[in-house]
Amino acid sequence: MKNSISHIKNSLRNKKISVEELYDEFLIKAKSSKNNTFNLLLDKENNILSIKESQKRYENGNPLPLDGIPLGIKDLFCTKGIRTTASSKILSNFTPNYESFVTQKLLDDGSIFIGKNNCDEFAMGSSNETSFFGPVKNPWKNKNYPTDDLVPGGSSGGSAAAVAEGTCVASLGTDTGGSIRQPASLCGIVGLKPTFGSCSRWGIVAFASSLDQAGPLTNSVEDAALILNSINKHDFNDTTSSNHFREDYSNDINNKLDQKIKIGIPSDYLKDVSGDILSQIENTKKALIKHNVEFVDVEFKTTEYALSTYYILAPAEASSNLARYDGIRYGVREDGKSLDDIYLNSRTKGFGDEVTRRILIGAYVLSAGYYDAYYRQAQKVRRLIKDDFQRIFNDVDFILTPTTPNEAFKIGDKLDPISMYKNDIYTVPTSLAGLPGISIPSGLSTNGLPLGIQFIGNYFEEKKLLQIAALAEKELNFNEQ
Amino acid sequence: MSEIDIKRISYLAKLKLPLEKEEFYANSLKDIIKWVDNLKKIDTSKTEPLHNVTEKTVSIRNDEINKSNSVNDVLSNAPDRAQNFFKVPKVVE
Repeated sequence: MKNSISHIKNSLRNKKISVEELYDEFLIKAKSSKNNTFNLLLDKENNILSIKESQKRYENGNPLPLDGIPLGIKDLFCTKGIRTTASSKILSNFTPNYESFVTQKLLDDGSIFIGKNNCDEFAMGSSNETSFFGPVKNPWKNKNYPTDDLVPGGSSGGSAAAVAEGTCVASLGTDTGGSIRQPASLCGIVGLKPTFGSCSRWGIVAFASSLDQAGPLTNSVEDAALILNSINKHDFNDTTSSNHFREDYSNDINNKLDQKIKIGIPSDYLKDVSGDILSQIENTKKALIKHNVEFVDVEFKTTEYALSTYYILAPAEASSNLARYDGIRYGVREDGKSLDDIYLNSRTKGFGDEVTRRILIGAYVLSAGYYDAYYRQAQKVRRLIKDDFQRIFNDVDFILTPTTPNEAFKIGDKLDPISMYKNDIYTVPTSLAGLPGISIPSGLSTNGLPLGIQFIGNYFEEKKLLQIAALAEKELNFNEQ
Repeated sequence: MSEIDIKRISYLAKLKLPLEKEEFYANSLKDIIKWVDNLKKIDTSKTEPLHNVTEKTVSIRNDEINKSNSVNDVLSNAPDRAQNFFKVPKVVE
């Protein structure tokens, strides 16, 4: 594949292109993009030192795993000396003094950041329409309505659209309830949410701390594995960071699966879905059945409760996490006569509608008299959802689902929050259970728009998950369609 | 479901909603709370809450000093500062 990391590294190794020329090529393209995919682009001067060091390593024949690769970084990761806004007005002037753990790992492996990708404000949204810097446009067009601007999905919408339009080789996103997998699906690329606890959350602007995970948005499954190799490390600064043994995720990724694989398809997920979505599952089944893969029907008991659980827990954690934005220590301050007025004015003027809504939901479900009925009950149901997955994983290796219930829709079309929240019906349960999930592009809808499928694996089984995804990717051959 | 007291909730969240938006948020909140109300019918009397999905013990490190976050680092993003302090309006009379 032309834009894959291994292909680009080969071109750099064989001197077909220099690291500087590569950076120029992507930067020029990014600057001329009309899709609003970046909140900030870094001119070559900002990166000239890293570009030169990277070039030297290629010349010395010892390049690092991601050497010279231009990456986009969701504007939710703190990047030292580079403005980090979470696409919010309240952080629009914030420049961190430190580098997030995962972006530091990407830098240590030689990659070069081309800019900060637009996203939903504080990662709250499923269409990238809540950004203070304006909506991101999906590079794909509906062939029956070619003048319509479509959403890229969210919240990592800028990341997904940038990879799809070719303005960065890959992007690092975050996923709380589907924010990597859903936009990847709507933009026709690969998106991986690792097991909760795999990748450190240190230095990521917090949304819902028991759910947030960093992960790659890429052109291919192999690229996702290469990025995962870099970011999946234990970190003492994140108390939920797991210190289990990590494998090399890209090694043997295309090898034949040596064991018989059993995949469960949740029949309750496929009730009422469109023919377009159903055919993604059918095509995947057909493609994999010849590879010694067995498919069985499985049924969840908790699916109808997943979104409710999520929309209690995530806003509750958000309302607590976002209490830190008060206009005193960093961020935009709106003046007031008293200290209290500064708090009130800064917060009220600094947060957009969706963030305000979620803070209010969170404050409500955590407030005296409602805590047990909503927050505590949701924490209990969360255990039932986790148990439900474990029951199914006793019998299967993976679960296969659509990634989204629909294709990319028109910007401005979904105004009602609940209908927006329903976009994440297939990704939220996995997030609540903390399981890893990967979305890969599987085909086109009748409107010519990309659709994706999601493989869900058991805890910390990313290696196996990437292998089955790589096999499906090869068989479905989306990029050649 | 009881009525939502939007003034109280926004007070708890340290937000001062403009009057013309109070109804908008109150209605939105009401719809969402009604939507999530389906959890109430589930029997969870024998279920423990789940706070951390991996339920692993936290890893412990040696308590070693490392130099990070100098005073200037910490204050570099302050909207207003005086010497080595964050500056705010007078709090105590």
